Amino acid sequence: MNTMKQKVIQKKLPRDAYNALKSVVGEQWIYEQRSVVETYSKLSIEGFSYIKKHEKDPHVLPACVVLPASTEEIQTIVRICNRYHIPFIPFTNGQVFCNPTTPDPTLIIHLSRMNKIIHIDVENMNATLEAYVDYGQLQAEAMKRGLWNGGSPLATALCKLASQFAFAGLWQTDLKYGLLSRNIVSVKMVLPDGEILTTGSRCMPKAGDFWEYGPGPDLLGLQRSGIGTNGIVTEITVKLHSWVGDKAFPEIPAGRPSLADVHEPKYDNPPAPLKNHKLYWVEYKDFKSQIKAMREIAHAGIAIGLNATGVYSAYYCSQTQDMTVERCKNKFFPEWNTYIILANTSSDKQIEYEEKVLQQIIKENGGTFLSESYKPEVFEALKPWNYDCIRHSTGYRMNRKAYLNAWLPQGPLSNAVVTSREWKKAIQTFGELDITDLGGIDDTPFIYMLQRGHFCLFETDNYPDPTLPDEIKKAAAYGIYGAATFIKYDLGPQLMAFLNVEPFTTMFPEAGPNGHLFMRKIRKVFDPNSVASPGRQVFTEEEWQQFPKEFKGLFNQMRAMQGLGAVE
Amino acid sequence: MTYYEKKPEKKFFEKTLEDYRDSIWGCARCNHCQNQWGWNIKSAEFSEICPAFHEYRIFPYSGMGKMHIARALLEGDFDYEDAPEVAKFLYTCTTCGACEMNCQRMQDKEPLQVNEVLRALFVQDGIGPMPEHKNLIKSVKNYDNPWMQPRTQRDRWARKLGIKDVSKEKAETLFFVGCTSALDNTQWHVAQNTARILLKGGVDLGMLGKDEICCGSPVARIGDRETFMDLAWRNIEMLNKSGVKEIVAFCPGCFRAITHDYKEIPKAEKLKAKVYHSSQYIDKLIQDGKLKINGELKMRVTWHDPCHLGRHLGIYDEPRRILNAIPGVELVEMERIKDQSWCCGGGGGVRTAFMDFAQKTATKRLQEAKKTGAQSIITACPFCEQNLGDAASKMDDGLEVKDLTDLLINVLDIE
Repeated sequence: MNTMKQKVIQKKLPRDAYNALKSVVGEQWIYEQRSVVETYSKLSIEGFSYIKKHEKDPHVLPACVVLPASTEEIQTIVRICNRYHIPFIPFTNGQVFCNPTTPDPTLIIHLSRMNKIIHIDVENMNATLEAYVDYGQLQAEAMKRGLWNGGSPLATALCKLASQFAFAGLWQTDLKYGLLSRNIVSVKMVLPDGEILTTGSRCMPKAGDFWEYGPGPDLLGLQRSGIGTNGIVTEITVKLHSWVGDKAFPEIPAGRPSLADVHEPKYDNPPAPLKNHKLYWVEYKDFKSQIKAMREIAHAGIAIGLNATGVYSAYYCSQTQDMTVERCKNKFFPEWNTYIILANTSSDKQIEYEEKVLQQIIKENGGTFLSESYKPEVFEALKPWNYDCIRHSTGYRMNRKAYLNAWLPQGPLSNAVVTSREWKKAIQTFGELDITDLGGIDDTPFIYMLQRGHFCLFETDNYPDPTLPDEIKKAAAYGIYGAATFIKYDLGPQLMAFLNVEPFTTMFPEAGPNGHLFMRKIRKVFDPNSVASPGRQVFTEEEWQQFPKEFKGLFNQMRAMQGLGAVE
Repeated sequence: MTYYEKKPEKKFFEKTLEDYRDSIWGCARCNHCQNQWGWNIKSAEFSEICPAFHEYRIFPYSGMGKMHIARALLEGDFDYEDAPEVAKFLYTCTTCGACEMNCQRMQDKEPLQVNEVLRALFVQDGIGPMPEHKNLIKSVKNYDNPWMQPRTQRDRWARKLGIKDVSKEKAETLFFVGCTSALDNTQWHVAQNTARILLKGGVDLGMLGKDEICCGSPVARIGDRETFMDLAWRNIEMLNKSGVKEIVAFCPGCFRAITHDYKEIPKAEKLKAKVYHSSQYIDKLIQDGKLKINGELKMRVTWHDPCHLGRHLGIYDEPRRILNAIPGVELVEMERIKDQSWCCGGGGGVRTAFMDFAQKTATKRLQEAKKTGAQSIITACPFCEQNLGDAASKMDDGLEVKDLTDLLINVLDIE
């Protein structure tokens, strides 16, 4: 290898601390080799970590990785971290916000050994899981028992539920079932000082799990979307719903791919996975009629999922990056489209009724159903959604090149208009990084209709080349500019999903997680030694002082472009 | 356009980490290299797909982890500070290709290829392979086989079978036996069954006999490109010179090497004969009516897809058709099959260097097989048979490991 290049050297834990940790998990489950910590050091959808990697910043390298096997082991580890003042970061897949940002030697607590479904309670319709259980696993076990958990996130069925709770994650079937945070029954956590907290329905000992919380104030809300700052979820109990389909998804008629033909589209075209499952695609004449129809469908009380994918279907439903780019260029997918999932109804009459209502709304809004007779090639290409809308698999294709610093505003449906308009302005100002950045400019931004349409998520994205630091910086600037934009237009308390994560929390104090300065106080109560997930949800004063001036400058530059004052 | 044809600018065996720069910087940590494709998950117990991550639970054992290690090595972020540990990460990969399958499908990226390039780099820099592999390489260099067996032993399995020696007489079809089936007498039954079945089907069958040499697959997989390419060039020359029109290989490692890897060698001559796996060829003989099945076997069986046959080259249906063609045989599928099949644990040099881990992986597969209620787990790979067979003998719960031809030979009226 090229030994002339500058090495990036990790820091080490104090030996006493290392030995104490080793005594908890055993020699087999503690690692501090340089090559191991490297694999816990890079983010996947956030530009700053790429920039730090390019700049060979050693702070992105943890010092050590431990793999506990139980809540009690985590408790002991956390207490050791407090004793030695070692920052720690809980870790599952590591798709997002998992990067050490502290200059101190940092411990990664990887939960991969805690991967068991502890219990499925069929009668009371809930499941208790260890922290490393993912949606695909839970669904498979629930389906065998005539149940399911209500959906899986767009970031694929391999997301762990405990991590999703830490991000308030959402699904494509949230129209009916609501976000994960609305499907939590209880959680067990190790708090930053090592205390164990059981909250939700289980706040009373031996009361069991049920679909409501215990009496009085509950700390669950404080933990939701806490990014690990307020503790480590070790067990989670979630609601289950009825499932009327088969015990497993049927085989795709085209068979299975091999490495020799893995990119053949036919392997991505599954049939409908359950009785009474109908997935409709509708094309509209314009954005206005699309938005109107979406609102009417959501409010009519039909369907379990209702979303607009715009250009993004080019990612999910294309088998290669080349196909994605070509389909974007050629506008293969209709600009103004939505998909509607009518599913999981045990009654034939119910689905008939929902179909009638849907057809009437589409007709009144001038929409056209895609079908084998209208745009059949597009209809065929969209078939991955047949399974994806139940158990998402192809969603992470957005990350083929590099999907960084997306705009992810949330709020009422009317905000979609502003998102689209401002994204167009941003692209005109900055220039696109890649042809596929154009999604949401002259077509719909990604829109998820959640909770019967009273709440939506919109998305527009950047696709920089991850090997080029300047492109990544540009993508990062886009992301920050997006945050500034939504602050400027005062678009509501939800604003961008990333605004509850540092450095956005501090750099956009107008929108931080329920007032970031208050959260900073709470962090002091929960985490007196500032060791839990430092620099993730809200900086301490010391962490804020350590935040690189260069990045601070970039934030203030973007704020200034939207007429917002500098944050010092 | 297939995946293998996708990047024609450079052959695989001349590629370096630099050729994968975009890919390794772009790893999205989606974790599909560790888990079943979401649509195919049937239970929590059997939802994982990477044997090494399943066992060791830390990222460097996964495809994603190796992409990160490759990135850091490429950019000089670290060098060989903990080389023995890194070598373990690289060489506990069975090269089953599950990570590559799901990453190709999801992200258009190549974690297995990156791992093989890393192995080649380690060998080139004198850090790899594992010490246990060194004898294997030495044996291949000295004896043309990995089992330290003299060349004279190579055709002992074939005595009295009446197979032509293509160095002495012409034959239409050549049986490329492979080192394990030819030299390990516990595996002779497979070579003998296969030859008998092909002869019964009227095939004008020849073999290279004592002249057959290792296909190169074992050394290719552990990263010794130089030795592999030397063997490949010799094989191509010998096979072309033999004048055969068809080659039938039984071992999936040989089959992959000859059909795919030889094409990935820079400036290599093209192989003239058409290459088949024995299950493909036998299936065709049955379909064409050249092999008549006469008899019944009352058995409940499950099929284990060998990785290099199934996931790598797409031969899923032919062996299953053969099993279904045998009256009385009931084929029941395991949860992880075809592209999402769980590896036997023996490939990629793992059985040589990490026997315990190889056996744990095999045991996991047998547990999965046992859940189907099958009496036997059937496969068509000498390494799978060895590794699953050893694990089965330790489990001692009645599950037998058999080759596909062990069943077929009983219903073809072969003396």
